[in-house]
Amino acid sequence: MTVTSHAFKKKRKLPPCSAACPAGVNVQGYIALLQQGKFKASVELIRKSMPFPAICGRVCFSPCQDACSRKKIDQPVGIRYLKRLAADIEREQERIKVDPIPKTHSEKVAIVGAGPAGLSAACELAKLGYPVTVFERMSEPGGMMRYGIPDHRLQKYVVANEIAYIQDLGVEIKTGVEFGKDVQLDTLRNEGYDAIFIANGAQLSRKLGIPGEDSEGVFHAVEFLRHVSLGKTVDVGEKVAVIGGGNSAIDAACMSLRLGAKEVTVLYRRSRNEMPALPHEIEAAKEEGIKFHFLVAPKQIIGEGGRIKLIECLRMELGELDASGRRRPVPIQGSEHTYDVDTVIAAIGQLPETSCLPSVILDERARAISVDPLTLETKIPGVFAGGDIIAGPASIIEAVAAGKRAAVSIDRYLNGEDLRTRREEEIEETTWVKDWEKMTKKPERYAALHVDIGRQKVSFEKADELLAKTKEVAMLEARRCLECASCTECLEGEGLCEVDKAFVDETLCTGCNLCAVVCPIGAIKKNEMGIAQVDEDLCKGCGTCSASCPARAIIMRPFTDAQIVTNVVAALRREFT
Amino acid sequence: MMFKPKIIGFICNWSLPTEVDLASTSRIHGYPKIRVVRVMCVGRIDPVIVLETFAKGADGVLIIGCHPPDCHYIEGNLQAERKIKMLKKLISQTGLEPERLRLDWAYASEVERFAKIIDDFRNQVTTLGQSPLAVEKADKNILAGIMAAKAVAGDSRLRTLVGREKTLVEEENVYGEKVGQEEFDKVMDESIDAEYVRSRIYLLVKDKSMSVEWLAKHLGLDPKKVLRHIVVLRQRGLVALDRIEGDDPLYIALEVI
Repeated sequence: MTVTSHAFKKKRKLPPCSAACPAGVNVQGYIALLQQGKFKASVELIRKSMPFPAICGRVCFSPCQDACSRKKIDQPVGIRYLKRLAADIEREQERIKVDPIPKTHSEKVAIVGAGPAGLSAACELAKLGYPVTVFERMSEPGGMMRYGIPDHRLQKYVVANEIAYIQDLGVEIKTGVEFGKDVQLDTLRNEGYDAIFIANGAQLSRKLGIPGEDSEGVFHAVEFLRHVSLGKTVDVGEKVAVIGGGNSAIDAACMSLRLGAKEVTVLYRRSRNEMPALPHEIEAAKEEGIKFHFLVAPKQIIGEGGRIKLIECLRMELGELDASGRRRPVPIQGSEHTYDVDTVIAAIGQLPETSCLPSVILDERARAISVDPLTLETKIPGVFAGGDIIAGPASIIEAVAAGKRAAVSIDRYLNGEDLRTRREEEIEETTWVKDWEKMTKKPERYAALHVDIGRQKVSFEKADELLAKTKEVAMLEARRCLECASCTECLEGEGLCEVDKAFVDETLCTGCNLCAVVCPIGAIKKNEMGIAQVDEDLCKGCGTCSASCPARAIIMRPFTDAQIVTNVVAALRREFT
Repeated sequence: MMFKPKIIGFICNWSLPTEVDLASTSRIHGYPKIRVVRVMCVGRIDPVIVLETFAKGADGVLIIGCHPPDCHYIEGNLQAERKIKMLKKLISQTGLEPERLRLDWAYASEVERFAKIIDDFRNQVTTLGQSPLAVEKADKNILAGIMAAKAVAGDSRLRTLVGREKTLVEEENVYGEKVGQEEFDKVMDESIDAEYVRSRIYLLVKDKSMSVEWLAKHLGLDPKKVLRHIVVLRQRGLVALDRIEGDDPLYIALEVI
C-alpha cells in the first residue's frame, strides 16, 4: 500500500516540538506511536532522524518539551521521558535488528572523532550507501557522551548500545587513532578518502587563569570526568569546590560526591537564573546535598605543603547585559573571603584542540576551524568540520544536527552537486488549537515514569509488573499530546496508515455548515459560495464530518465508506480454524 | 456445535492494542473473539455503515474508542456516542435487538479491559442467538426494516439533529434560548419514529402503488397516522397519487433525482 500524505510534505508545516528540535526529529510522530503502545516503531522513527534515542532521552536539553503547545494549557508532554522509556524498552525487550546497508557508492568518507557529530554524520552517510570510517583517539567511541557525561546520568552501556547500532549499519570505527599524529589530512587523502569530516570536539578545559591553578589538587572538569570514566582513581579529599555553572560543573560535583567527598560546593559567578545547567540536574544535585554559592568568583588558590588548602574568592554583583544576553558579573572590591578545600575542579568551559589541525583551515586567531556555516565546508574542498570544534561546547542534539548537515554536504560534494542551493527548508510552526482556554486540562503523568528498566533491585515478577505499569503510564502520557500538525507520517514505514483526508462533493453540499460544527479541530469553513471547504493542512482525517454530513457530501479518501464496508464483508467471511 | 457469533469490532486506530489486532487477524491465537475492522476514529463510523454491517449478516457490532476526554481527534468519541445513541433507537424500530450494538471505551494500554468488554459483549450476543439476518433465509420484515433504517440514517433530518445535538443542548441560540436535553431527546425520538415509518412507506410503494389501508395493515399502524405520513411524503415530493382503485387512492414512490 502506498502512502500519500499531501498536506504534510507540500508546505512543511511542523508541530512546535519538531520545529524546535535541531535534528528535526518527528516528535509528534513517535508520540503518536507511543499512544498505541508501539515502542519499537517509535524508536525506529526516531532513528530515522538521529541515532541516539536512549542518549537524548537521558541528557538532551529537550527543546521539544520547552516548545510543547500543551504548556499553554498545563504542563508540556514529557517528551524526553517518553523517548527514554521507548529506547530502553527497545534495548532491553524488543531489540530492532539491523542489517548493514549495501555500499552503493565507491567514494570513501573519513570522519575524525567518534562523538555525537561524527557518529551522526557517519550514520547518515552509511544510510546513503557510502563506505565510512570513523577515527577515534580514545580507546572507546562516543566522545563526550562516553568520557564527558558521568555514568549516573548516562550509562556507558547505553552509549555502547547506540554506537553498536551505527556499527551494525556498516560504519567502521577505528579507535586509538589520533588525528594529527597517527593520521593527517594528507595521509587520509592518500589512503583514498574522498571526503573528510572533522568533528573532534572541544576537548580542552578553559583555564581559570588565577594564581595557584597549577597546584596539585586542582582539576579541570573535562580531564577530571575523562579520568573517572576511564576507571582511574582520583583522590578528591573531603572538601571539593567546583567552579562554574554548566552541566559539566554539576556532573563534576555529583561525581566528587561519588568519589567520597563529604562536602561539595559549586561556586558560580552569576546567580541561579543565569546558570546554563539543566534545571532538573541542578535540582537533583541539590537533593544529593551539593551546596551552591552564587555570585562568587575565585581569585586565587592557596596551597600548603604541596597540597591546596584554601580558595580565595570575590563576591560579585550583576551589571550590564553582555554579548550572551546575560548580566555581566562585576567583582565587589574588598569582598575577599576564603573556603577550606582539598580539591578545586574548574568547569568554566571547553575549548577545541586546534594544535593537531593544519593551520590553513583555522580562523585568524587559530582558536577554531573556520567553515561556511551553511555547508560546514572548510577552506579545503572536500574537508568539512562541525560540532563543538566549530561552535564551541554545545549540546548533543546540536552536534547531531551538525553531523547531519555535514552528511548532506558531503553527499552533494561527492556527487558533484551544488552545496548551497535549497539548503534551508522553510518550516512553519503550526497548531490547530485556537482557543487555549477551552482545552481540557490533563495534568502530567511523567512523575511516574522514572523507572530505569532492569536496573532496579526488585524481583523479576515485580520488575515485570513495574514495567507493565510504566508502559501504561507512558501510553497515557503520550495521550496528552495535542497533535498540533495535521498528520504525523508516523505509520508510513508500516504502510498501515492511509492518511485520510476529507473531500467535499460540491454538487451535493447544501451549505448547512454542520460539518464545520462537528469538526473537532475547526478544519472546515464555508467558502464565499457557501460551500464547505476542508483545509487540507489542518484535516487529520478522523471522518467525523463524513459520518455526520446530512447531505452525505463529504467523502473520506482513500479510506471511503465503501472501503470500510468491503473490510466488513471480508472480516465476516474470514474463516478461522 | 456451539453458536459462535460473528462480531464485527469497529475499533479506533489509537485504542486498538496490538494483541487484540493480532488475535483477530492471525490464526495462531485460536478462535477469534471479534473480527476487527480498524478505523481512524470511532467518530468515523457512519450509522449507515453499522446498519449495512447488520444487513450483511453480522451477529453483533462492537465499537470501541478512546475514553473521553482522551480522543486523538479531541471529541470524535463523543460524536460517536451521540450517533450510536440515535442508532440504537433506530434499530429497535426495525425489530432487530438493539443489544446487538454496543459502544464502549478503552485505551490501547488496557488489554484486560478490552478482553472483558469483548467477552461481555460476546456473551450478550450469544444469548441473543444468531442474527435473523445471518441465517440462510433472512427475516424479510427485519431486513426491510434495516433497509428503511439505512435510508433514514443516510438522510438529512436525523443526521442534522445528531450533529447539532451538542450545540443545541450545551449552547444558547441567538435568542438566548437553550434546548434542554429532555426536550431534545423528545424531538429526537419523535423524529426517529416518524422518519422510520416514512422510510418504510416509501420503500413499500417503491415498485407497486399501495393504499393507505394496506400500508397501515402491513405496518401494524393506525391508518390515520399512515395518511399523515403520506401527506408529508407528498409534500416532500417523494410520493404521488398513482390512481384510484375502487374507493382507495393508491400511492406510489417517485424517483429521487
